Amino acid sequence: MFDFHLSRSANRRQFLRVGGLTACGLSMGSLFQARAALGEADAGQPRRAKSVILVYLGGGMSHHDSFDPKPDAIAEVRGKYQPIDSNVTGLQVGELLPMMARTMDKVCLHRGGAHNNDHHETATNWVMSGRFGSAFGDWPAMGAVAAHESGFPGTLPPYVSIPRNPSFTWELGKSAFLGGRYESFKAGDPNEANYRVRDVARAEPLPQLRLDRRQSMLEAVDGLAKRIEGNDQLAAYDQFQRRATEMVLSGEARDAFAIDAEETTLRDRYGRTTFGQSCLLARRLVERGVNFVTINFGGWDHHAKIWEGLDKKLPDFDRGFSALIADMHDRGLLDDVLVVAMGEFGRSPKINKDAGRDHWAPAASLLFAGAGVVPGRVLGQTDHEGGQVIDSPIRPADVACTIFRGLGIDPQKHLETPDGRPVAILDEGHVIEALYA
Amino acid sequence: MVPFDDSERIVRDALVRLENLTHIRFSTGYQGQSPESIRGLFGHCDCGTPWASIRIFRSMNRNVTMFSGLCMPKRLLTRWIMMAVMIGLAVHYGSGRSTAESSDTSGPEISPAVSDAVVPSFVNDVVPILTRYDCNSGGCHGKLAGRNGFKLSLRGFAPESDFESLTREGRGRRLNPAAPLESLLIAKANGSVPHGGGQRFAPNSLPEQVLKNWIAAGTPGPLTDEPRVNRVDVEPASAQLRPGEHRQLRVIAWYRDGSSRDVTWLTQFASGDAGLLAVDEAGKVTALRHGENVVRVSFQGEVGVATFTMPHETEVDPQWYAVHNNEIDAPVFARLQALQIEPSPLCDDATFLRRAMLDAVGTLPTPEEVRLFLADAHPDKRERMIDKLLARPEFVDYWSLQLGDLLQNRVERDHDVRGKKGVRSFHQWIRQQLIEGRNWRQIASDVLLAKGACTEHPAVGYFIVTVGEKSSEESEVADSVAQAFLGTRIGCARCHNHPLEKFTQDDYYHFVSFFSRLALDRKPSDQGVTQLLVSTRHLQNLEKQLQQQQEKRTELQQQLQALVTQTTDTQNGAAEQVQAKQKEVDEVEKRIADLGRQIEQTRLSPVTVRQPRTGQQLLAQPPDRSPIEIVPGRDPREPFVRWMTDPANRYFSGAMVNRLWKHFLGTGLVEPVDDLRATNPPSNQELWELLNREFVRSDYDLKHLMRLIMNSRTYQLSAETRPTNFRDARFYSHAQARRLPAEVLLDAICFATDDPEQFQGYPLGIRAIQVPDPGTDSYFLNLFGRSQRVTACACERSGDVTLPQLLHLQNNDGLSAKIQSPNGRLERLLRAEMPVQEIVTELFLATVSRQPTDAERAAITKQLIDVPATEPAPFLQDLFWALLNSKEFAFQH
Repeated sequence: MFDFHLSRSANRRQFLRVGGLTACGLSMGSLFQARAALGEADAGQPRRAKSVILVYLGGGMSHHDSFDPKPDAIAEVRGKYQPIDSNVTGLQVGELLPMMARTMDKVCLHRGGAHNNDHHETATNWVMSGRFGSAFGDWPAMGAVAAHESGFPGTLPPYVSIPRNPSFTWELGKSAFLGGRYESFKAGDPNEANYRVRDVARAEPLPQLRLDRRQSMLEAVDGLAKRIEGNDQLAAYDQFQRRATEMVLSGEARDAFAIDAEETTLRDRYGRTTFGQSCLLARRLVERGVNFVTINFGGWDHHAKIWEGLDKKLPDFDRGFSALIADMHDRGLLDDVLVVAMGEFGRSPKINKDAGRDHWAPAASLLFAGAGVVPGRVLGQTDHEGGQVIDSPIRPADVACTIFRGLGIDPQKHLETPDGRPVAILDEGHVIEALYA
Repeated sequence: MVPFDDSERIVRDALVRLENLTHIRFSTGYQGQSPESIRGLFGHCDCGTPWASIRIFRSMNRNVTMFSGLCMPKRLLTRWIMMAVMIGLAVHYGSGRSTAESSDTSGPEISPAVSDAVVPSFVNDVVPILTRYDCNSGGCHGKLAGRNGFKLSLRGFAPESDFESLTREGRGRRLNPAAPLESLLIAKANGSVPHGGGQRFAPNSLPEQVLKNWIAAGTPGPLTDEPRVNRVDVEPASAQLRPGEHRQLRVIAWYRDGSSRDVTWLTQFASGDAGLLAVDEAGKVTALRHGENVVRVSFQGEVGVATFTMPHETEVDPQWYAVHNNEIDAPVFARLQALQIEPSPLCDDATFLRRAMLDAVGTLPTPEEVRLFLADAHPDKRERMIDKLLARPEFVDYWSLQLGDLLQNRVERDHDVRGKKGVRSFHQWIRQQLIEGRNWRQIASDVLLAKGACTEHPAVGYFIVTVGEKSSEESEVADSVAQAFLGTRIGCARCHNHPLEKFTQDDYYHFVSFFSRLALDRKPSDQGVTQLLVSTRHLQNLEKQLQQQQEKRTELQQQLQALVTQTTDTQNGAAEQVQAKQKEVDEVEKRIADLGRQIEQTRLSPVTVRQPRTGQQLLAQPPDRSPIEIVPGRDPREPFVRWMTDPANRYFSGAMVNRLWKHFLGTGLVEPVDDLRATNPPSNQELWELLNREFVRSDYDLKHLMRLIMNSRTYQLSAETRPTNFRDARFYSHAQARRLPAEVLLDAICFATDDPEQFQGYPLGIRAIQVPDPGTDSYFLNLFGRSQRVTACACERSGDVTLPQLLHLQNNDGLSAKIQSPNGRLERLLRAEMPVQEIVTELFLATVSRQPTDAERAAITKQLIDVPATEPAPFLQDLFWALLNSKEFAFQH
């Protein structure tokens, strides 16, 4: 559909036309070398992300009714909602996003999300990994790759899903062939009363005396690793055993997940919903150095009665996401945390006979914020019906490339499948340079 | 048609009209163009034919093609090549030497004779360069989509299509015969034009010269009669080195015509273990550490290995290698001695019992069993214990689980043809085979030949899962059979030649052919039973049509009968009606006969599968390319199973030998365990032969092999390492500690706490190793990596250690509940009012299958000082928790 792999000269034209895509890694010849010659500091704006928060809108949020309203289209396309002005001149969003309307100056809206697969699982794996289709099961999700590349730098796991991974007929966001070590840590629903993370906090906490005694007993009976050297599995077990103990005992992990330590007014500002509290928890986690957080906010698959669905869901999103951006902005977290919100695709321009919108891969809206993204702008454009992207399309691999590059991960690096087959993290895609320019 | 001499004369005549072409001569290669076309082409050429036409060039055998471009203007020469090409003549450019002279060299040409004087062959010179410099690798232009619009076949497995993309695409800029060095093929690769893949070779280097010569010679394409490489030799094939020492490898390629040449500079080298052996791009090997491993070489799909041994320098007392239990130990200890690796001592009795039980029956010994075994004074008590274990009912449980993984016994994912019921019945079938003591040859043959109704023949479940409703070539059946039964991974050859083995895409589809006569006749449960038929979908359609026609005939005949009896005589037009009906019957009869013929024909047609890339229909042929007779109309799986179970077939015996060896020793003789191939040799060839021989001699008796392995001293060595052997993970100098498999670990926890797990849909008390269906809901089993049985790959069972696993063991509320369960072990012991120290002993026996050591006892006693004698429970719970969290509990050691 949008083939960026043209010859060199064509690439340059394409480059100008789409408003700035830079070669992801080593695939674009002269352009890359020119940039490399300039040196990274000159070529690149500050875009080193310490962490990434990916808000995953599973099922596919309707872009018409949220961030890409088409007030002049015919009624079957236009939908029910009126557009409202945002605090960015000339930018309008759907009327159910009043708080986001006041936050658009802090994010970059991209209306050019485009691909060609309208199957939930396949498209989700595509947008969450940056790679399409695979002969050996799914591709590892970006978070798992990030965990694989970063290792386990602190007490907290590097890849966390709140409340859990997306799942349709199968679970997505997994580490796939990278192995169980890099699976996301599932935080559970932080909006639950007495929220606890599975196996991190106990239902009935033990007194300190017993915790200490358990540790000294364990030390007394756990001598095997001392008598056996050179065994990777045993060493890994030993390492994770300590890490688990730290997570349980040190308080750092408990503290990270202790959402009730937040002020009530702030918790209310995020909204007392699973999504709202997930956003708040995500902020707590990246504050403490978690590398990659996925907030899984599904349920956007409105094939029927879309207004009933969106009347309920959009305000949740509006409140939670705007609070997240504002809160992170106030705390300076947007300096080095990249926030991306997207689903696996958009929804169809025409409203169907069941008053719903169907899957629509060729167009979707995405939000980017932080870590060098220039806020308060709109990139990409769809046609008058919101059906096709007519300016600056971005593909799943471009988004993934932007995220990987932001995290300082080389997307050209090869990973190894269990049967020893080397595969590149990404096989196409470019950094969405326009976000930073 | 003109005789050959005529065409040559025409060309020669034309030739003399051009100046400075004195050294060109033409020889064989006439391809039958008419003289008109020759003349026409000449004329056309003179007025400037576009360069693109040059792709029809066909070069001659590379061995006799010599070329001297020194004595003529390049422009004229290239134009001349074109003209000759167009008339279908192959061209020899000689610098005075005759063809005979230059081809007369016998034996390997040792130094790569590359100079301006050679016209390189596309297949034998150019493609190897593209491979050697990674141009056609999977990360670059060799991937399916190509890269930046330039696509090559992966590692050059399809030279014809590579030739097309080089010569036809890219608007001719990739190749520029007028100025070869400006061709993008060279300019990108040597870095003179920016290249996404960077500089692949230096300007003026050997590869550049070859490519330059090839382009200058008019880019001759692949020839059908060109000698292809069919073997490579590595020198040295094996060598001993000291860490830090180097050795240069030399690689000789042998061609089908018996010729050979040194291809070291075109060979790709890879170390079997980069921590042990380093090898650079030129084939220089550096030994890094003590041990042994191989360097793999690959040139144009042909592969070879060189083995390097780096013995330890400190002398080990030969006594360490002298004590043997059985015939397994000799080759193992010989290997260790050669490498001067010290073996660990024999493990103690308690460790042996725990290890043997976990390995053979997936079950922990009871405290009573430990006590009895420790008290047993018989010198042969280990041997007797092994016999007892192999006869225990848990043996069937545990090995049904192993075979269930291997035979992918799971609910079929895509459709609902086979649910839990099918999984359970196949599981039951596997159990029955083990109970009856059937050998692996019998079990494997029965599974592979399964057909008929899935209720009567549960083993058809194997094909329901692996073939399903796809055609054999779309399904995973070939990959699964190869991996499960032959221990080889051929899946990659579905799309391209195997990168590490001489296994081609053709081989893959030859292999698929064996399974091309399988068709699933799926029925909803209320309309009968799903059947696996030895048939094809086409045949099924024909048979269905035949049945319809037969039904129609019966109907028509009845109608005809009725007409005849009703219409006695006088009725108007009755005769015509009868006649018309009769005609209908006749037509149906004809159709039936026709269908019968078609069915017979289809049934007897050769068993083939279409190779999707070439479109060829490929006959069934086993992966070793041995000839095999397929009788049309018979199930082609029968000759396959005969081939497979031939006593000489090391794939079939080796696959199981390697799995069992890995099961008991932790590391396969070949790793990965299901990746047997020439470039991945067993770490101990002698042992490999011995085990295979024994397995075949016993008629593939699983227990015989297990007994042999378990009785060896090798198996019974301690897991505790010595300073000289802790780095060894390949030569069995010590037992390899490893985390218990998910099911065994869960059972061990349930056993130790005496609090069973409830599995949904199964009665309370059923153990995890007994659960037939990998889809049975269990957070624990998923967390600890049970196999989902989606593929036959042993890698599906994950021994990964993860953070959530450790959190789960340390802090899970359910585990605490098990420790404190009112009917559990600890509560029972407390109720029995046993002394605390005795309870401590019981807890040790129930978890780590041994008595506490003095040091442990002392540490515990010290902690006990602060514990009120009336309230020992919390203390014992904490100790129990510690034992369940110890590595000694979670590991097999």
